[in-house]
Amino acid sequence: MSTRQRVQARLTRNKVAMVGGVYLLVVVIVALLAPLLAPHDENLATRFQDILFSPSSEYWLGTDHVGRDIASRLMFGARYALFAGAEAVVVALAIGVPLGLLIGYFRGWVDAVVMRIVETVVAVPAIVMAMAIIAGLGVGLTKAMLAVGIVYSMVITRLTRAEVFAAREELYVDGAIAAGASSIRVMFRHVLPNVAPALIVQTTLLFAQAILAEAGLSFLGIGAGSDQASWGRMLRDAQLSIDRTIWPAIPPGLAVFSTVVAFNVFGDGLRDAFAREARGGRIGVGDVQRREARPIDNEGVPVQEAGGSSASDPVLTVRGLSVAFPRLGTDDDVEVVSGIDLDVGRGEVVALVGESGSGKSITALSILGLVPDPGQASASSIMLDGSELVEMPFEQLSRIRGTDIGVIFQEPFAALNPAHTVGRQVAEPLRYHLGMSRAAARARTIELLAEVGIPDPESRIDAYPHEFSGGMAQRVVAAMALACGPKLLIADEPTTALDVTVQGQLLDLIGDLARRRSMSVLLITHDLGVVADLADRVAVMYAGQVVETGCLEDVFASPQHPYTEGLIRAIPRNVSRSGDLPTIPGLVPSPWEWPDHCHFADRCEHVTQECRSGAVALTPSATGLSRCVRAEELALKGVREEAS
Amino acid sequence: MLRLLVGRLTAAVPLMFAVATLVFFLAQANSSDPAGSILGLDATEDAIDAKRAELGIDQPLLSQYGDWLVDAVQGDLGTNWFTGEEITTELSDRIPVTLGLAFGGLLLAVVIGCSLGVLAALKAGRWQDRVITVIASLGIAVPSFWIALLLAYYFAIELRWLPAVWPPGGPDGIGEWVEALVLPSVALGVAASAAIARQTRSAMIGVLQRDYVRTALAKGLPVRRVVGRHAIRNAAIPVVTLIGFQVAALLGGSLFVELIFNIPGLGSYGVDAIFRGNVPALLGFVMVIAFVVVLVNIALDLSYAWLNPKVRVRG
Repeated sequence: MSTRQRVQARLTRNKVAMVGGVYLLVVVIVALLAPLLAPHDENLATRFQDILFSPSSEYWLGTDHVGRDIASRLMFGARYALFAGAEAVVVALAIGVPLGLLIGYFRGWVDAVVMRIVETVVAVPAIVMAMAIIAGLGVGLTKAMLAVGIVYSMVITRLTRAEVFAAREELYVDGAIAAGASSIRVMFRHVLPNVAPALIVQTTLLFAQAILAEAGLSFLGIGAGSDQASWGRMLRDAQLSIDRTIWPAIPPGLAVFSTVVAFNVFGDGLRDAFAREARGGRIGVGDVQRREARPIDNEGVPVQEAGGSSASDPVLTVRGLSVAFPRLGTDDDVEVVSGIDLDVGRGEVVALVGESGSGKSITALSILGLVPDPGQASASSIMLDGSELVEMPFEQLSRIRGTDIGVIFQEPFAALNPAHTVGRQVAEPLRYHLGMSRAAARARTIELLAEVGIPDPESRIDAYPHEFSGGMAQRVVAAMALACGPKLLIADEPTTALDVTVQGQLLDLIGDLARRRSMSVLLITHDLGVVADLADRVAVMYAGQVVETGCLEDVFASPQHPYTEGLIRAIPRNVSRSGDLPTIPGLVPSPWEWPDHCHFADRCEHVTQECRSGAVALTPSATGLSRCVRAEELALKGVREEAS
Repeated sequence: MLRLLVGRLTAAVPLMFAVATLVFFLAQANSSDPAGSILGLDATEDAIDAKRAELGIDQPLLSQYGDWLVDAVQGDLGTNWFTGEEITTELSDRIPVTLGLAFGGLLLAVVIGCSLGVLAALKAGRWQDRVITVIASLGIAVPSFWIALLLAYYFAIELRWLPAVWPPGGPDGIGEWVEALVLPSVALGVAASAAIARQTRSAMIGVLQRDYVRTALAKGLPVRRVVGRHAIRNAAIPVVTLIGFQVAALLGGSLFVELIFNIPGLGSYGVDAIFRGNVPALLGFVMVIAFVVVLVNIALDLSYAWLNPKVRVRG
């Protein structure tokens, strides 16, 4: 589908925009046919004594203070409105587009000079600047709208220039220049098409502004003359009889209003049609719903043992956690996490491992009750140190989030609020949850910053996030997560966004903290290599399911699922330097493509007929649990010796 | 902060100079002869020449410009051709009126616009959001002078709750000021409220999806606090930018509203100056408006520095 077709299709689907478009069409038709449609004269009263009549069969919308037919004047008014709007927009485009292209393309002193002029003009309210120009040109509708067009051309110039700058950033423009295309050719062939969508939208919206400006200037008496039934002029006349009746002001006011609304909604529709598909959500809070465990997920496995039974004193137990999202463009829900069971013991570090798209992060967010809207999380049980989190009210869960569970997210700079100092952000849970005084919270914050290894915490406490390096910012996030002494720390890809050189340091820090504080850690990562130094136990996730769990050593030494084997093979340090880095062929399929049978079957080198015959349950294996029908017969390779 | 302020003020000087230059020469393009229109149709040729000399418009344009500029720098905007009064004096009577009006409109717009925008964002996609979005789309399309006419008719002429015209001799005391400015401020504030509501909504929706909002929730803060402490301040940056534009729009809109409510502010002064080809009065009017807009924008620039610490460092 071409861009034009796509935009057209989206626009026609937008009902509001279409209503606006149809209304504008009606206005255009009325304007064109005004002399035929209008029952009375534009400027002359049919009988001069028919003053301020109410609507009747002869005068559909009544008469004004000198007996002129309001309905007829309204129809002629559509002509002046459209003519005035068109004039202003044409002037604005005729000046603004070439000027914007020119200065955007050549930059340098031309750009500097023109932009100073643009800034000067826009420093004054548009209507005031238009009035200054009218003072020079003289009054009258055509001159007034010329003035308005000149003022608007500044907006168009600025917009075109900005779009040209953006287009220049694109490589193809440089490519065209490098290929020896002439400047003019590059501008019109390569740059203008990219500027066009923004210009089309802006032009529609400026048209609406111009109609408002026409009405305003005519209302002031410096636009349409007394012999022109412009809507603004009609409002000016209506003011003369306002102490007797408001009626003559209603039809022209509504006409201006509705026409401007129509242009605006049509322009907004155009903008949406050109824009990439974007969708806003509410503040991300989806309570976890209770759901009974589905037998298929745990077939043959007693619920209490699921997810690795080694946690004798569990801090966290998750049973049957599923998360579904509505699929865009359909009415269906798609499960992105299906029936996860997970245990984390006291003081234990459990790694949740899997490729991007396997559902690890969303699992972590579900535990916190923070599944982004419109996702729906459900579970039969999520126990945190004896309290059931499923169906816990949001406010009550808030207490637990800040105190018993701490979180480190992937992107430290995104996770920190750029508008507040780091000290304030770390101190916030202390102040809010523990009710500490400002001074006590500050002292504690300094201790926390020192604990996570930030040098000179006394002075760094008042710094803003952007004044930190990535690694240091992530330490701040860690300090924030630790503030209230959580029982469980969830670290969601804590090192992925960091420079390789500091990744190890941060992992060491997390390990140290877990040991010193006897804190449990749920470490989420796509990199089994990260896990090796840190985790006690591993749960491997693939396409929304846990496919294998077990102790770290066991899983590394003898994986019980082909996917685990693939992940181990993909750890760079397991490969001899001469060889290529092995990868698992293919990608994690999108959630709506997940099959009913083994999710990994299509990428598995050991696949057989049996793998595709039905859903596979997570069953006890030689070392833990595995979701593979061939787990026992396959001799999968674990960590290999370093090649000599 | 001080350096930022000084920097912005310094940058404003050439801008004001450019506005003055632009408007001075634009206004000269009018071919009508002010001396003739001051003296009326039956003035003799000699009288008109004398008047031209008195006004200084027999001088070459560049020297007129130079004289005006030298005076303007000293705060003297010249003499009104028609009233013979000092323009600075005339304007200084009118500035508080228009500023009061614009401030009333802005206050209303910021309070209503921001509250509706935040509410719509928090309820994105639900009925509250839809209602607010529709109201805002309609609100930005309403001509302020039409609303002013309707308000004047219903609340002042029909119901007689509030005065329809400016009290003779000007309002006396805070009560009369408020009474006189309520309806005009509402008329002026409608479109600005709608624009601010739209911008606030989209900025808030963007911010609510940011990771630091998730972090704040993960810290266990209640939604109210997350919105108040973490979201609003970041969402405010684009809203403040819009408020800058709205101040200019409000000053522009005050022209119409002043006409309807008979308010002796800057707007009616400017309109009158255009009709009469009263160049020095028009210049004074534009300069004062531009000066206010520039000052407001400097204030907003400073508020960015407070909202966004990164600007502060660069300042």
